[in-house]
Amino acid sequence: MNHWAFVIAAYAVTFVGTAAVSWVSWRGMRRAEAEAERAGRA
Amino acid sequence: MKAKHQRLVLALVALAALVGAGLLAASALRDEAAYFYAPADVRAKGVEPGKAIRLGGMVVKGSLKRATDGVTLRFDVTDGKATVPAVFSGIAPDLFKEGSGVVAEGAFDAKGTFVATNLLAKHDERYMPRELEGMKYDEATHQLKVER
Amino acid sequence: MHRFANPSRFLKIARPLTGWLFWPGLVLLVAGALCGLLVTPADYLQGDTVRILYIHVPAAWLGMAGWSGIAVAAIVQLVWRHPLAAIAGRAVAAPGALFTAICLATGSIWGRPTWGTWWEWDGRMTSMLVLLFLYLGYIALANASPRDGQGGVSPVTAIFGLVGAINIPIINRSVVWWNSLHQGPSITMRGSSIDGSILWPLGFTLLGFSLWFGAIVLMRMRTILARNKVEARLQRLARG
Repeated sequence: MNHWAFVIAAYAVTFVGTAAVSWVSWRGMRRAEAEAERAGRA
Repeated sequence: MKAKHQRLVLALVALAALVGAGLLAASALRDEAAYFYAPADVRAKGVEPGKAIRLGGMVVKGSLKRATDGVTLRFDVTDGKATVPAVFSGIAPDLFKEGSGVVAEGAFDAKGTFVATNLLAKHDERYMPRELEGMKYDEATHQLKVER
Repeated sequence: MHRFANPSRFLKIARPLTGWLFWPGLVLLVAGALCGLLVTPADYLQGDTVRILYIHVPAAWLGMAGWSGIAVAAIVQLVWRHPLAAIAGRAVAAPGALFTAICLATGSIWGRPTWGTWWEWDGRMTSMLVLLFLYLGYIALANASPRDGQGGVSPVTAIFGLVGAINIPIINRSVVWWNSLHQGPSITMRGSSIDGSILWPLGFTLLGFSLWFGAIVLMRMRTILARNKVEARLQRLARG
């Protein structure tokens, strides 16, 4: 059994999750703060 | 007493009660939640032949023998207090070897041999590179060191 | 305690802190993962699969630390009625749940080549699965209760977070209390049974994932606070 296939699968799962959380959290924050900024000026 | 303090005391009492209840439940589950029987448990409690259980322990060094048919393995399982013989036909996991941990699923036959239908390898908490193989964890110094 | 109750005070610290935690955290965790993949030696018994350690352990840590954070936030929310604590509880839940799931997934992937099974109902795995269900229950409860304009979780959700915390010491002790397929603890208060040559990248990934997780929680808290601001503004407009 090739062990590297398992290692790469585990790292892939983790890094896809990490990247997804980073992206969704950052984008959500930028949008919400931009909207709050506009609401504050209006 | 201020309302804030009342809430604090209430929260702490609730938390303490909760932890107590949880620990009580966990200790009551001690036997039922065990994933496998160790050989000493088998000897102490007695397991009737034919009852499906898991048996876990170390494969005794020098006990592993492959039968002439090539697929049947005979080995002894020990937990340091008791030892039981086991037999298994099939493909064992890569990490199954003498001196290493095993969890076998199966049942005892009438003669007291554990007939395993499936083998799982259980490794211990030591991790080390190949050149250090054979080192043991020393409880006194908390270091890995060469076994003598 | 209430010094930070004012969102603008909190934001003054949270805004710069988000980047300071995020980028060093990301650099550390990527460096640790690369070292774990390319630099460290293979294990004498498991071979290269031991490298899953460097992400499996931080994922377990984030899942358990996340719920501990939820429990601490719940106490602060229930006792001191601190609105930011209620928001913190909501912010931690989703990433905490994801990393609990990642811990289970990487553990399963690790179990196949080493133990010879994807899944077994032993104490450690079962209690970790219970943690995932607790997270899902917490998220459902937080979303089911009405928004009060503060964006935090309801008191009932906070109580659920506190009650669920009992699972954390059970997960930690499961391999000691019960015979389990999962091995016992390698790193204890007294030392480590992982050789130094294999252990060191774990420090990088643990610290890296922790800093990164802090940044994610801050981002999600800032999102909730910004939405509150918009909502308050809309309400003022509707009234005026």
